[in-house]
This record gives sequence, structure tokens and C-alpha cells, in this order.
Amino acid sequence: MDIIFLVLALLALFGATSTIMFSNTVHSALGFVVTVLALAGLYALLNATFLFMVQIIVYAGAIIALLLFVIMFLNIQQSHAPKEPNKYLLMLVSAIAIVPFDYLLFKAFYSMSFAGDANITTKDFGNIKMLGNELFKNWILPFEAISLLLLVALIGAVVLARKKERA
Amino acid sequence: MIEVSFMSYILLAIILFSIGIVGVISRKNIFIIYMSLELMLNSINLILVSLSRYFGSMDGQIIAMMVMAIAAAEAVVFLSLIVSLYRLKHSINIDDYNSLKQKGIL
Amino acid sequence: MSSNFLSWIVLIPLFSSILLGAMYLYSISVKKIADRYFTFFALLAPMASFFIGFLFFLGLLNGNGEYIYEPYTWLGVNGYIISMGFLGDKLSIFMVLFVTFIGSMIHIYASGYMKGDDGYGKFFSYFNLFMASMLLLVLANSPIIMFIGWEGVGLCSYLLIGFYFTEPLNVVAGNKAFIANRVGDLGFLVGIVYLFFYVGKLGFDYGALEDYVSIVPNHILVIIGISLFIGAMGKSAQIPLYVWLPDAMAGPTPVSALIHAATMVTAGVYMVARFHFLYDLIPHVGVFIAYIGAFSSLFAAIIAMKQTDIKKILAYSTISQLGYMFIAVGLGAYSTGLFHVFTHAFFKALLFMGAGAVIIALHHEQNIFKMGGLRKKIPLIYSVMLVGTLAISGIPPFSGFFSKDEVLLKAYNHNEYLIYGIGLFTAGLTAYYMFRLFFVTFEGKNYKERKMQNISWSMKAPLVILAIGAAFAGFVGFPKIFGGANLIDSWLEAWSGAPTHIEFSADIMLMSVSVLAGLIGISVAYFKFFKYDFNQDIKESGLVYNKFYIDEIIDFLIVRRMRDLSTFVAVVIDDGFIDKTVMSLSNGFINLGRRVGRMQSANTRAYAFFMLVGLSSFSIYLILKLGK
Repeated sequence: MDIIFLVLALLALFGATSTIMFSNTVHSALGFVVTVLALAGLYALLNATFLFMVQIIVYAGAIIALLLFVIMFLNIQQSHAPKEPNKYLLMLVSAIAIVPFDYLLFKAFYSMSFAGDANITTKDFGNIKMLGNELFKNWILPFEAISLLLLVALIGAVVLARKKERA
Repeated sequence: MIEVSFMSYILLAIILFSIGIVGVISRKNIFIIYMSLELMLNSINLILVSLSRYFGSMDGQIIAMMVMAIAAAEAVVFLSLIVSLYRLKHSINIDDYNSLKQKGIL
Repeated sequence: MSSNFLSWIVLIPLFSSILLGAMYLYSISVKKIADRYFTFFALLAPMASFFIGFLFFLGLLNGNGEYIYEPYTWLGVNGYIISMGFLGDKLSIFMVLFVTFIGSMIHIYASGYMKGDDGYGKFFSYFNLFMASMLLLVLANSPIIMFIGWEGVGLCSYLLIGFYFTEPLNVVAGNKAFIANRVGDLGFLVGIVYLFFYVGKLGFDYGALEDYVSIVPNHILVIIGISLFIGAMGKSAQIPLYVWLPDAMAGPTPVSALIHAATMVTAGVYMVARFHFLYDLIPHVGVFIAYIGAFSSLFAAIIAMKQTDIKKILAYSTISQLGYMFIAVGLGAYSTGLFHVFTHAFFKALLFMGAGAVIIALHHEQNIFKMGGLRKKIPLIYSVMLVGTLAISGIPPFSGFFSKDEVLLKAYNHNEYLIYGIGLFTAGLTAYYMFRLFFVTFEGKNYKERKMQNISWSMKAPLVILAIGAAFAGFVGFPKIFGGANLIDSWLEAWSGAPTHIEFSADIMLMSVSVLAGLIGISVAYFKFFKYDFNQDIKESGLVYNKFYIDEIIDFLIVRRMRDLSTFVAVVIDDGFIDKTVMSLSNGFINLGRRVGRMQSANTRAYAFFMLVGLSSFSIYLILKLGK
């Protein structure tokens, strides 16, 4: 388990770093795919089997694919990429600036003092049946709200991306 | 089998979140900024899922799923926005999207 | 005679003034209105007032005590009530009679004097307003209402002195009159307010004041008395506030006649007489007033000796004569003071209008040393001027003799021998400078021949009427000692003060002395100026000619200092401090806005960075706050 976690964590970090490092957009997107997949693996490690699936399907399958599609669609070349001469300096500055927040978060979670393995009550914890039960019993209203949001996003995307008709 | 401490997951999530922030601030390429934002969302999801596991409650996972749904919706809107903006400016440099900049004073 | 007609004495000139003003505006902006229409209304108003006043006079003669008309409450706050009240008692009706009579004469004269002037209608509008203000002042039944008229005459004098406002000097003279009056008005106001503070709750008309003035503490009464007298100083041109009156000559001559004879300057004397119940309680303030009067009289007479401008000489003579009036009222002999006001009104109006006729005849020449030999050219003016000059010089049987002599008698009777001496000396000086004016103007030799301008009958007729008045008005107050009735004293019995106890022989002696003083003055003037040679140079220098440099001293001590202060305030405090502070404040905000505006760069990443900085600051704060 340790080794798997370690490998997946390193992959995730590697993917994230390469996402923000590459100047080529497509390469960044591929780095992001690595991270997403590594995270899916971590979900699996955490007994969230359904989420493991959703992560792969929605993120790696839909979102990244859509992103790449848009990049291709707009035909963005390497030459289109903006000039970023002081990219690394900015990274350094912002990395330093984020340290206090990270420290605070870490302190907060550390003070919760997670001890040992957690208490998994049922064997099917995190599988689709349990999640579905929970979702449609206790979370039905947020679920419907989310579905409405998706509908609005659909319509919005169509309206926004439509070519303006010349008057 | 030695269980990995939950703090490792948390630590990983925090680092990923920070990388996302660094990406948003340091990059000009709007696609990379978008991916950095998604990275931040993912790191939060990781925390949610690991806490769900720790407390033995499904709530964390459900919220994580909803975050994914929202991320999907966001992705759709965001990308359509980029398309229309690119039509307008022919640039993916976020610094070029400055129509609201204050011009002359007094 | 219903008492509500009292208000019409004031209202007729007021409405006439408004009507004339409207007509004048119409005339200059739409269509020219002929002068005769203005003349009609302008002359009608004072005459109508005189007529109504005369009816009231008859009413009083038939034994009515006094008329009071209070149409409405002018101010009423929390039990303090000031009614718009008119009081027609013997004093005010007496004033109304001669103010409107002399005023009517001056109006008639002015209709000739101002003929053809562009501002004819405007002039008479102001004139009628002047009359209305003066009549309101006289007829008011409360000091507050009196103050309205008091300010009104101040305003009208300003308007009329600066009538030819295109000439900067006239404007300066108008301002001077207004400002000097303002100083006096402040004193008057302080006095009224003090009085109101102590007795205002009990009613503030003269009747109530007379009843309750005794509850005011004596030292407060002194303050009130002096404050009110400062007001009188300003209006009646006494030391030290006399400076405006000589400069008031900048206005047209009828204005001077009106100010000096009928209206403005007598207001101070009238006011003191009106407040006689107050001044009776503080006789030492009265003596102070009498001394101020005496010194004003002497001082003005000395200055008048060396002046060359005919109107200025007359102006200083007015100050001098007003001094006499204040001697009388200061010593409690109010009826005597008013008697002198009465006779003075006749001969001073006569003298001014005569001088105005001379000025007109000589095409606006005012320097007496450029006149000379006018006796044969304008004999009528010569004779009326002679009457006026004799009257002011106190030669019997002309009017000035009786009143002036009575003033001196009162001073002697009060054992104020210094005042008596000054008065006597001034009488001699008066005779001297008045005959100096007279001889230089009408006699002399080697004068330049010049073409004369005709003087219209509208100017001559009032002169003749006034000359008769100046000659015989004195007999109204014919001393009892010669078997006369002294109608003034018996009419104004309540104001006549302590009765005089003096031997017949002593009285005769005093009269002879004052007549002698006048005769000496006349003879000195005769020897010096009757055969005045106009070829010699005119000496226009010296301490007295320059009026003791009082104007320069005031200019140096007060005007310049005020200007320095104003400059200081304007430059250092206003520009240097207030403006700078305000401007730097606004510039500071503008700069701040520019700086803040620069943050609004539309750079999304910068915004994100600001957020990040905020987040880390917040985190650092929490870390420090919560500890490890």
C-alpha cells in the first residue's frame, strides 16, 4: 500500500508540476492527465471505487478531451503561446507567498491527530450502491440542483460559443 | 501491512493545491491557468475523499462527486468563453483580456 | 381723526417711492416717461403726509393726548411681543410737521435742480423712500420699529450720496457714510438689545418703557444711554463719527439739504429726546453728551473757517449746529434742542438750497474763491442767503437767534460754564465763517465775469418760503421773558426739562453777549472778505484746511490697519492656509485615486496575486494569533 501510494503521489506531483511548467499547452494538458489518473488511483486506494471511475470518465475522458479539442479547434500553435520571460521568478514568489497558508492548513489537519486506520463499517463502503442510496435518500435536493446547473451550463455554452450573426 | 497515515494524503493535497495556485499566478496561458484551477479542485476532492474514508461517512464522497459535476459544468462554460474571447482578441494571453482597464484619469 | 391714518403718513411716501421706482424701471427699459409724471407723484407724497400730519396736529391741539395705532404684531416670540406700532404724540407730530414741510420744499426745489437729469425718476424714488424712512423713525412706537426707519435713512443716504456712482469719489463718500453710520448703528442696536433684555418682557413700546425703565439697574442704564448715544453720534455726525457728513456733499445739493435739514441728522437728536425718560435717570451721561456736542460744535466751526467748498462749509456748520442741539438735549432741555432742530431745519435748508442755486447758476462751480460779485447777478438768491446767514449767525430777530440763545441760556442755567463758553465762542466763529462764505460769494472785487445760468421758479419759490420761515420761525419760541408765549416749550411741555430760573437782567445780558459775539464774527469777516481781491492766490493748505488731518489719521489708524488685516486674512490665512489645505486635501485624494486606480489594471493575474497576498497575510495573522 505504501509503495502504491508513494508511486501514485509522485506521479500526481510530477504531473502537476509539468502542467504548470510546460510552455506547450498540449504538453501541459498531458501532464494534467497524468495527475488526474494518479488521483483516480488514490481514490481507489481510499475505497472510493465509484469516484475512481467517475474521475477517469469525467476528468480524463470528458474534460481533458474537451480541452484538447478546443485547443485543436482553435488551432493554437506554439507560436501563439504568450511570452513569459519571468515565469520562474513569479513561480518562486508565489510559492513563497503560499507557504503560510499551507502551514496553517497543515497545522489544522495535524491538530485533528488522525490515528491509525479509519473505521470502515461496511465492506461495500464507497461502492456505487451505497453512494446511490446515500445520494437519492439524503442528497436528493442538491443532486437535482446540480442537474439543473448542468443544464444551464449546457445552454450557456451553446449561447456563448455561438458565432455572432452579422446584423 | 502498514497503513499510510492520512496526513500523507492531506499533505499531498495541500502540495497539489499550492501548485495550482502557483500555476494560476505565474502563467499567462489561459489554458494552463484553467488546468491549474482544475488541479486545485482535484486536490480538494482528494481531501474530501480521504476524510470520508477516515470518518466512515459517505458525505465526503458525495460532495466530491458534486464538485466533479460542477467542474464539468465549469469546463463547458469556461471553454466556450475562451472560444468567444479568442475570436475577439486572437490571443490566449490572459494579459490581453484587459478591456476594463482604467484608461485616462481626470 | 382716526389714529390709523398715522400709518398713511409713512405709507404714502413709501408707496410713492415704489411707484416711482417701477415707473423709472419702465422708463429706462421700455418707454421713456416724461419727467412731469414723476414730479407729480414725487411732490404729492410729502405734501399728502404733511397734510395728514397737520390734521393730527389739529387733533392734538383740540386736547387729544396721543394717538397710538398698532395694526399688527411684527414679532412675537414666547411672550416677547413687538407690535408694528405708530405713536402720534406732540413730539412726533411736531417732527412730522416740519420734516414733511421742509421735505416738501426740498422736493419742489429738487424738481427744478434735477431737471433733465438721467436719473430723475430714480432720484425721487430714493427721495420719497428717504421721507418714508424718516417718518417711520419719527412715528415708531417702539425702538425696534424706530430702528427700521433708522436703517432706512442710512440706506437712503448711501444711495443718494453715491447717486452719481460713475464717479469713484462719490462711491467712496457713499461707502464712508454707510460705514460710519454702521458703527453708530451697532451702538444703537447694542443699546436696544440691552434695554430689551431688561424690560422687553413687559412690553417694548415707549409707554411701557417709560413705566418700567426704572427697574433697570443704574450702571446698565449708563451703558444703554451711551450705546444709544453712539447711534446718535453716527446719525447726527458728532465727534468722532462726524467724518461722513462733509463727504456726503458728493450727492446732489437737494440731497444735502434733505440730509442736513429735514431728515437724517436730526434723527439722533430726536432719538435722545424720545428716550428722555431714560436720560433723565442718568444726568451725568447727559452732561457727557452735552460736552461731546460742545466740542463737536467748536471743532466743526474751526474746520469750517478754512474750507473753500461752499457745500463743505455748510456741512461743517451743520455739525456745529448739531452740537448745539446735543448741548441742549444733553442738559435735559429737550424742547430747546428740538426748537433748534426746528429753526435749523429752516435756515439750513435755505442755505443749502441757496448754495445749490449758486452752484447751478455758475455751472457746477463749488469753490467760493472762484465765485464773487454775485449780488447783482442773482439778487433774489443774495437776499435769501443773507436771511439764512443772519439766522445761523444768531442775529435777532432771525430764527437762529432765539433757539441758539436759548441753548446757551440752558447751559448757563445748568452752571455748565465751560459749555456756555464754548457755545458762545462757537457762535462768534459761526458768524465769521458764514459771513466769510457770504461775502466771498456775493461781494469782493476783481472777480471773473462769467455767464450765468437761469434759475427756474421751482427752485426760487421754496427758497422764498423758507426764507420767510428762517426769518420768523424763531417767534414760535419767543421767550417768555419778553412776554412771548414760547409755543415750543408749552407744546413740548413734557420734554422741556427743568424750568430756567434766571433774572431778567441776566437774561438780557446773556443775549447781548451772544449777539455781540455774532456781531464781532460778522465784522471780522466784513473787514477781511467784503473787499476780497480775487486776483490773489488761494491758500489751500494748513492744519485747519486739512481738517486737522482727521481723515488721514482715521485712514492710517483704522482703514489701513483693516486693510492690512484683510490682506493678512486673504493672503496668509485664506490663500496660504485654508485654500492650501483644501487644495492639498483634494489633490491628495486625486493622487490617491490615481494610485488606487493603477491597481485597477485589468490584469487578472495581478488580482489573483493580491488575493494570494491577502490570503497569506491572513494566514500569518492566524498563525501568530493561534500560536503553534
